[in-house]
Amino acid sequence: MVLLQSLYDQLAFFYEPMFMRRAMVALFLLSLAVSGAGVLAVSRRMAFFPDTVGHSALAGLALGLLVGLDPQVAVILFGLGLGLLIVFLSRRAKFGADTSLALVFSGAVALGLALISRRPRVTAGLSRWLLGDILTVGDEEIVALLGLDLIAYLIFLGLYNRLILTSVFPTGLTRQVWVDYLFGAFLAVVSVLAVQAVGVLLATALLVTPAATSRVLAATGRSFFWLALVFSLISGQLGLWISYQPGVNASAGATVVLTSLGFLALAALGRRLVGRV
Amino acid sequence: MIETFERPATESPAKKSVAGPVELPPSWPTAWVPALSLVEVKATLGEFEVLREVTFQAPKGRQTIIIGPNGAGKSTLIHCLLGQIPHEGRVFFDPPGPRLGYVPQRPDFDRFLPLTVGEFLALGLSRRPIWLGLGRATQVKVKAALELVKAGSLYGKPLGGLSGGETQRALLAAALLSEPDILILDEPATGVDVYGEQLLCEILEGLKDSFTVLMVSHDLATARAHGDWVVCLNRRVVAQGRPEEIFQPQTLSATFGLHQGLIFGSATGSPSSDSAAGPACSHG
Repeated sequence: MVLLQSLYDQLAFFYEPMFMRRAMVALFLLSLAVSGAGVLAVSRRMAFFPDTVGHSALAGLALGLLVGLDPQVAVILFGLGLGLLIVFLSRRAKFGADTSLALVFSGAVALGLALISRRPRVTAGLSRWLLGDILTVGDEEIVALLGLDLIAYLIFLGLYNRLILTSVFPTGLTRQVWVDYLFGAFLAVVSVLAVQAVGVLLATALLVTPAATSRVLAATGRSFFWLALVFSLISGQLGLWISYQPGVNASAGATVVLTSLGFLALAALGRRLVGRV
Repeated sequence: MIETFERPATESPAKKSVAGPVELPPSWPTAWVPALSLVEVKATLGEFEVLREVTFQAPKGRQTIIIGPNGAGKSTLIHCLLGQIPHEGRVFFDPPGPRLGYVPQRPDFDRFLPLTVGEFLALGLSRRPIWLGLGRATQVKVKAALELVKAGSLYGKPLGGLSGGETQRALLAAALLSEPDILILDEPATGVDVYGEQLLCEILEGLKDSFTVLMVSHDLATARAHGDWVVCLNRRVVAQGRPEEIFQPQTLSATFGLHQGLIFGSATGSPSSDSAAGPACSHG
């Protein structure tokens, strides 16, 4: 916490209000983990994963209340379970990732609504879980994001090749079942934490858009990873800065999303002029 | 595909006589040892019995070619060997639990994924993530494997931009990198132009005597030119033997049906049994 405080002091150069400095750090940490996770999710056609898991927060919360679990723990556990269920469905029932995601998405949202509608009072704190706001991020969330980065880079260092290999040939006769499930669990945790920090919209956009932008420009697997990281970092920070300008004064999350989409459009144009890198 | 399949040793009962769970065919040379024996293998897909009582052997360190018309169950047979399709009957491997390298037919993959051929080959070879670049030792191995399949120039090219023949060679290099005991090729000549077929011939010649190769093909010329042992499959084994025995009009029409004899008449007309020379291969 002392370290965080001194970091915030350093960032006073960029922004006056403390919530902007926290947002800056949170977006930076989130970009580190989410860009690589996005590259893998896009390669494995699981781009809708964070959306599905993010919306499951509703059902997770309601179930947590029923069982008497801490909401934070309940949401993470439920998201994790759904992540594994999605992998199971796309592997065993052979629906493919897209259909599995749609099935789990509607099921989880419906379950959440059904449970919540029985206890109307719960809905009060709900918007925070679905629409989390980058400007209200607290120090605990920043520490959680730091932990997420640690897990993410352990996975990127240890399993990246296997995960890419099985996504080049999704119908391939792979025997490494546990790798699929581990990745599903990882992506679920990334999604839940990202959604809590910045909301469903920004979490999905940050996960998918830089990876898609990089995919347009990259010629090698190496540049695919690094370009996604660069685009994720730049659109996060630039979007935050734009949203803070007096003339703009727009929602920070939405501006970050629009900025990252702007880079995607530029990349598509740029590739015609310059080619891939 | 690039993965290797370690078949559980329990599925290959080594306790039973490995040398010959069944009698070897009469024309089997005495010096040969079977690397693979199938005994009365049956497979059904839904209601349809694709393979009925398939029994044959494949010699160790040599090239066995399974020929047969479309729908003969050739690919099904390979999936049985890989343990991907439930089947009755027995499969014996010597040694038990071998590493199988597999090159699929017309691979279906994401052609827009940014990945070079070199990176693709490194995926199955090295744990070092490709976003950190390839290590020197990996680069050397990958380039050597590509040279072996006469594809050294593909190293830096995007995997998705390869032609059919180039893709086959990249996949073959990947299979070779996994150092398989048995290399299984499913219709390697599919979607390959004449030049690619020529290259494939030369590569197969280069692999001769160093790997046990099991290749499925409907291309009789390839089978004739490269096979040490040929199995004619049409949902059951119609015949197995040395190429010069198999490439007789009677055997071929029994396998492929009537009119194939006309089409392949010229291929079978030559009495040459020299395995290096065949209609598809004009080496040199």
